[in-house]
Amino acid sequence: MESKSAGSSTNFVDQLVYPGDVVLDLSTMTNQTIKLGGGLRQDGDVISVMKAGRLRFSKPNKYWVESSQKRYVPHAEDSVLGIIVDSRSDNFLVDIKGPTLAFLPVLAFEGGTRRNIPKFEVGALIYVRVVKAIPGMNPELSCTDASGKAGEFGALKEGYMFECSTGLSRMLLSTPTCPVLDTLGKKLSFEIAVGLNGRVWVNASSPSTTIIVANALINSEVLSGVQQKIMAEKLLQRVQ
Amino acid sequence: MEYVSPEGLRSDGRRPMEMRQIRAEIGAVSKADGSAIFEMGNTKVIAAVYGPREVQNRSQQMSDKALVRCEYSMANFSTGDRMRKPKGDRRSTEISLVIRQTMEECILTHLMPRSQIDIYVQVLQADGGTRSACINAATLALADAGIPMLDLVTSCSAGYLNSTPLLDLNYVEDSAGGPDVTVGILPKLDKVTLLQMDSKLPIDILENVMQLATEGCKAIANYIREILLENTKQLEYRRGS
Amino acid sequence: MEQRYANCWRLTVNEKKFIESSLLSELRVDGRGSLEYRKLSIKFGKDNGSAEVQLGETRVMSFVSAELVQPYKDRPNEGTLSIFTEFSPMADPSFEPGRPGESAVELGRIIDRGLRESRAIDTESLCVLSAKLVWAIRIDIHILDNAGNLVDAANIAALASLSTFRRSECSLGGEDGQQVVVHPPEVREPLPLIIHHLPVAVTFGFFSNENLVVLDPTYHEEAVMTGSMTVTLNANGDVCAIQKPGRQGIFQRVIMHCLKLAHVKAADITTKIIDAVEKHNIQREVQKVKRHSNCFTD
Repeated sequence: MESKSAGSSTNFVDQLVYPGDVVLDLSTMTNQTIKLGGGLRQDGDVISVMKAGRLRFSKPNKYWVESSQKRYVPHAEDSVLGIIVDSRSDNFLVDIKGPTLAFLPVLAFEGGTRRNIPKFEVGALIYVRVVKAIPGMNPELSCTDASGKAGEFGALKEGYMFECSTGLSRMLLSTPTCPVLDTLGKKLSFEIAVGLNGRVWVNASSPSTTIIVANALINSEVLSGVQQKIMAEKLLQRVQ
Repeated sequence: MEYVSPEGLRSDGRRPMEMRQIRAEIGAVSKADGSAIFEMGNTKVIAAVYGPREVQNRSQQMSDKALVRCEYSMANFSTGDRMRKPKGDRRSTEISLVIRQTMEECILTHLMPRSQIDIYVQVLQADGGTRSACINAATLALADAGIPMLDLVTSCSAGYLNSTPLLDLNYVEDSAGGPDVTVGILPKLDKVTLLQMDSKLPIDILENVMQLATEGCKAIANYIREILLENTKQLEYRRGS
Repeated sequence: MEQRYANCWRLTVNEKKFIESSLLSELRVDGRGSLEYRKLSIKFGKDNGSAEVQLGETRVMSFVSAELVQPYKDRPNEGTLSIFTEFSPMADPSFEPGRPGESAVELGRIIDRGLRESRAIDTESLCVLSAKLVWAIRIDIHILDNAGNLVDAANIAALASLSTFRRSECSLGGEDGQQVVVHPPEVREPLPLIIHHLPVAVTFGFFSNENLVVLDPTYHEEAVMTGSMTVTLNANGDVCAIQKPGRQGIFQRVIMHCLKLAHVKAADITTKIIDAVEKHNIQREVQKVKRHSNCFTD
């Protein structure tokens, strides 16, 4: 395996790993500085796995386990789709499919001041960024990017939202564009917002397009790249 | 058994399309915000309404509309054989649900967010058609409590025995095992909100029976309107204008 | 304070609006037409009288059992039929563990009324000894996965399991002819129930826009719709039960229209149930032959 020779000191990279597997032994490594991502934990001198999935490595020293799940564990700097649950005087309570509700401070908007607090009704769908995700505290969200600009963040009007696995939403966000979006995008025009928390919002000018896109995406959960393409093409043929 | 005699009379002397004597009385429970007694022949029910008031269980509070609750119960002495029925058996749970959802349709719940309305109905004498009587009593009680409503829901039942559609079944007719159709309508809008039926009936006959029950509902609606008008006049009189 | 928000599934305003607006152009979110049923599959367990129904993503299991009991005093010559529902929080977090909730009671009552009041099962043939012993048939319905329209799925499951249920044969013997002998299945072939007709439940959903009617609502549609009506009827077009428990008022002509639609659908579902049952029966016969041949070769 190439990646192994390219700096990784484990032969588990790109392999399926299971909870309890020991993937790295720090005592045998020369350079002991590594960065751990999701699904891994340090137990004394060894790094062991705590989630089933595929072990990934990126140069020079990042390791993580890639898996797909229905629930979401908040991580700072993730873009997610949230549902407003309630509003308080200084926070909106937002459901992001995480273990606890997230807080969206009422001032966390571009140019937000006490005077121009936006109004969201309960059940509104918003595209937000996770700012802080510290275990033991409710995650904090923001409707601005790191430079304080609104960007694409904010309320999503109309359209349709469906829930999927975090793996699917990561696939939809991957570059190069995944086959199903690529194929659909050539024939149909639609807007899409993908949250890393396993929520996808689709909007198109006609409801039929929205339904086609949404169902194609839901179906591609279990399909390989080639299969996705075939499925999307078949679907498009049926529509036209 | 013969439920309609050759002369076209029922066991209690009524014609097939005749309703029993109805009687209503407003303000039967002094503690309640609204209350009423409703009688259909020997069936007698009492209804009391509390609210809109603060929601007791905060977790049930709704930010966009009022919470409506309903409790239906049958007094132990209401039926012929007196027996102690466990509270919250399946039948009363279902009837509570049906009454609640029927009343919810006509109460303008969105005008009273974060509040709660309780409806208690109790059957004092059961002689068939208790479900309908409860709904009629609840309507009167809600009107008495001054709760904003879309329309006055009324309900009536009808059956089909000896190849004859019969309006407002009594206990003997009800327990004959024939079809029993209970209808609840919004009379001014002419819409059906409650419809329950059991036993076996072909579709076209069901339509006739349903129509008959609907006519019954309208007649009850007229009576309820008169009672309310009378009540309002009384109030006006007491105010001395 | 935040406990009341815990673990409940939420519908966004977007979804709510989209479901309603796409219905206006005769489209449903899962690609069905407004009066189309989801894919129905009926599977049978190894035991007699167990069936698992999958309607779209909704999964319901039903199990029928029988025991000899003393009959009710007012009906000494009739067996009994009772229905128990189990809504486990496993299938939907909104189901609370413990006592059956309102929806569980309502579901049980709809199926109960459809089956019992229309006399779909011949209860008199379940009598063993008048006023002494009758068979009590018990249907246990377990919801395994709730993706909407539990009533129809549970009803189909109940019918399928009743159709394949076999009870042990019993006869009277002893000196006074009052002794009940239950023959084990190896000695005498167990008997099926006598079923007169199959009352099939068909559920419609109504929306605040009164022109919209959907058949077989999904979980999402159930959250949006403002009223529902379940019509239970058999293939002959006899209405066995109707349940429209309040909520959204609809015109009488809409009800009649729904009844006619339901009739067509019920006939359709009835054939599906009968086909599945027949297939299962053939399979069971085939399995029996195998067992005997194995005995000889061993």
